[in-house]
Amino acid sequence: MDWVKRLFRLREQEKEFDRELEFHLEELFQENLAKGLAAEEAMRRAKLELGGREQIKDELHDLYRIPLIETFLRNLKLSGRLIRRSPGVSAAIVFTLMIGTGANIAVFSAVDTILVRPLPFPQSDQLVLLLQHSTEGGNPQTLVAPVRLEDWNRMSSAFQAIAGYYVEDTSETSGPLPEKLTRAFVTKRFLQVMGVSPTAGRDFTAEEQRFGGPNAILISDRLWRQRFSAAPQAIGQSLHFGKSSAAIVGVMPASFQFPDESVDIWSAVPADAPYAQNRTSTWYTAIGRLKPAVKVGQGVADIALVQSRLGRQFPASDEKLNVEVQPLKETTVGSSRRSLWMLFGAVTLLLVIACANIAAVLLARGTERQHEIAVRYSLGASQRAIVGQLLTEVLVLASLGAAAGLGIAALVVRWLRTFPSGLPRANEIAVDWRMLVYAIVCALTATIVCGLLPAWRTARYEIAHSLAAGGKAHVSSGNPMQWALVTVQVALAVTLLLGAALLLRSFYELGRVNAGFDVRHVLAFRVDGSYAETTDMKRLQQRINRTLETLRSLPGVKGAATSSGLPGVPSQFPTEVSVAGSDKGVLQPILANSRFVSSGYFSTMQIPMLAGAECGDTIENKYALVNQSFVSRFFGTAGPIGRQIRMAGGLQTPLSAEIRGVVADAREQGINVSPSPTVYWCVNAPSPTPNYLVRTAGDPAAMAGTVRQVMRTIEPSRSVYEIRPLNEHLSDAFSETRMRTVLLSLFGLIAISLACVGVYGTLVYLVNSRRREIGLRLALGAQRERIAGSFLAQGLRVCAIGCVAGVMLALSFTRLLSGMLYGVPPNDPTTIAAVVVLVTIVGTLAATLPAVRAAKTDPMQVLREG
Amino acid sequence: MASEKSDLLQGTLDLLILKVVAVGPIHGYAVAQRLRQISNDVLQVPPGSLYPALHRLQKKGWLNAEWGESNGREARFYKLSAQGRKRLAEEKITWERMARAISLVLRTAE
Repeated sequence: MDWVKRLFRLREQEKEFDRELEFHLEELFQENLAKGLAAEEAMRRAKLELGGREQIKDELHDLYRIPLIETFLRNLKLSGRLIRRSPGVSAAIVFTLMIGTGANIAVFSAVDTILVRPLPFPQSDQLVLLLQHSTEGGNPQTLVAPVRLEDWNRMSSAFQAIAGYYVEDTSETSGPLPEKLTRAFVTKRFLQVMGVSPTAGRDFTAEEQRFGGPNAILISDRLWRQRFSAAPQAIGQSLHFGKSSAAIVGVMPASFQFPDESVDIWSAVPADAPYAQNRTSTWYTAIGRLKPAVKVGQGVADIALVQSRLGRQFPASDEKLNVEVQPLKETTVGSSRRSLWMLFGAVTLLLVIACANIAAVLLARGTERQHEIAVRYSLGASQRAIVGQLLTEVLVLASLGAAAGLGIAALVVRWLRTFPSGLPRANEIAVDWRMLVYAIVCALTATIVCGLLPAWRTARYEIAHSLAAGGKAHVSSGNPMQWALVTVQVALAVTLLLGAALLLRSFYELGRVNAGFDVRHVLAFRVDGSYAETTDMKRLQQRINRTLETLRSLPGVKGAATSSGLPGVPSQFPTEVSVAGSDKGVLQPILANSRFVSSGYFSTMQIPMLAGAECGDTIENKYALVNQSFVSRFFGTAGPIGRQIRMAGGLQTPLSAEIRGVVADAREQGINVSPSPTVYWCVNAPSPTPNYLVRTAGDPAAMAGTVRQVMRTIEPSRSVYEIRPLNEHLSDAFSETRMRTVLLSLFGLIAISLACVGVYGTLVYLVNSRRREIGLRLALGAQRERIAGSFLAQGLRVCAIGCVAGVMLALSFTRLLSGMLYGVPPNDPTTIAAVVVLVTIVGTLAATLPAVRAAKTDPMQVLREG
Repeated sequence: MASEKSDLLQGTLDLLILKVVAVGPIHGYAVAQRLRQISNDVLQVPPGSLYPALHRLQKKGWLNAEWGESNGREARFYKLSAQGRKRLAEEKITWERMARAISLVLRTAE
């Protein structure tokens, strides 16, 4: 870093040179005085003898200066002056780059945080989920029995440890009103697997993880701050859950949000409880930590071996199970990968468009600056020096643009963190040094991409030379390079717009789809419950029925029901069922989706009954309904009503019921999924916390207060949560779809705006530089319409070429959008036509203004100007 | 053209300066004075050549410079570095060989 020091010493050196020469002068003066000269004459001669003082200093300076840095600094100064001289163009360039880099930096930080960075756990690449699947009935994922989890731990060799967890909502009853908390039940080794320890307090002791031991909980940082104002005394206090209570033994770090960010409490589940010894029970999702340097593939082989041994040992419960190993990161972020890379591709195109736009502007400006450059050449500047100067100018503008872009990106990132984007890990996205480095890279890249070509063109010696000689250009046919750049902008904008249009079409199609049920005027919510209630199913079902009856009696409520899943929110529960006496495949197991609904479900959701009757208010679980698809797939003319249907596989207790009715198809598995054969089991309590659905006469949101109030009177110890209109739940389920649609549309609009500015600007430049020629032609009798027409045609030709190239480019990229489109093929001709028409219209508008201006040229004035 | 000429002159001037500075810490004015005195007023090095040469030699590491006092005024004193001393010896040999060669040519060619 020697040059840095030298750079700072330059000023000091300047003074030193002065002092040194001053001394010399003084000595000469003294000598002259000694010779007997008068003071004035002595000084005059001394000065004469010393010679050109400034010249000597300059020469000394040359000895010490660092050519590259100094040239750069000088260029920087000059750039500042030139930028200030044309503030309009400079501001436009900075603004364009701000948009281009801002979008790019923001999406980069999302991609970097979500996809590239490891999960916020130590050595998180060792963490994998072990997903147990039943080989029967469509390979559904099932939860792991506590005993099997212990077996896996004991028998596997590739894992450091394997732990299990499940999450349940619970009511904490210390305060006057029950508060809903989310509780994760975890097995021993949980913190060991996660590699995290409490920030305060301690992990569970062995005693606390034993059956009959003291109840202990770890609490989240959030709960610690909210409830205990982050006081250290929180440790040792107890939280109450109805009849039971548990002591707080530790506080987890704020960054620890596992299994998900909603968890407030972690409780230990004893593995040695007598009720935990059943091999068929389904409790846990299993997460394991691989041993260091063990690959995921080795883990897969290891656990497969272990499970096959268990299958031989316990054929009844373990034979038909296999285990899938999935890296935790893949589980967490895998679903967003396509969207994020697609968006990153989009913003990269956007940046390229911005750069092409700026390059075109710089080319035009370069032509205007030929005179200045010619002068500099004639003063002895080298081509390298001129290119360097021009590039420095772009670098200054690019740096300003990228700095502003960084600001925009910081705002976008803040917005991304709070906006329900459907993105995983969105709360981890933050403004950090990686964004800064990326912004610098953006600025440098933009400088090279936008600046190099125009700088090289502008600095071409011959042109500068010839123009210096010629003075004024008479005819310039329009710089072909400039038009090429504009065409690139239009083409890329068309590509982006086409992608955006396809996503918009999909979104529109999604909204237009006939779901088969009515999502409007439905309020959805849950009432917390505990799996402890499932020991007395009858009582649980009675409680739910009592709640439903109360809800139905409310004024303004037209119907109420429970359902295992929210209709329309994507979820699948494929199960194997067999029907006695079906004429297609008697007693053959068939695959169907299962949903669990209470009485009144179909009328509440307004799914039409086709035959038979709805579920009654019975709590015996002896009825089921099927949908139209089920009937047409598995039954012929003979109706299904009255037949017995059985669910096998997956569930520990086979369910058997009589088919009581047939309903129309509805898209309950997701609005974007075609209806599939579905069995509705008349079970109002598939879990202690089913979804309640209430059809209201008016605005469902307005009903929320009434519902809360009535629930407080009938179930004072239970909290009501997730209370929102059903269509809001649905729109949340599609928030990622909506986000990418909104963003890509925004990028498309920016792109086409930039391209139009490009067309407009280039034509304006062209008209200006051809004013003399136009004036001459008009004076010689050319028609104004033809002049305007020729410019318009030039603009339109660029649009046409751009459209063709853009559509072709888009078609070769459609793979990127696959899986994101609904109800529209990626090469949909209507969408393509719409985009082409749109681009043609705005392109025409952009070209018309300069064309009209050209036609309005006053020949007399131009000729007078000479 | 200028650079061709100065190559020869510069080398010579450098040698002379090194030789003069070898005596001890000395400021630029004194260097010029001494050169003039020793050469009986033949060698008059103008400041425009002297100071760039001094600084060039300093930058090459042959001279060290230090601010000091002369007649109550601040002056910059130059001193030969170890490297400079070595260089001086080499340059001297080169010069003497060259001078002998040149005078040989001049004498013999007659």
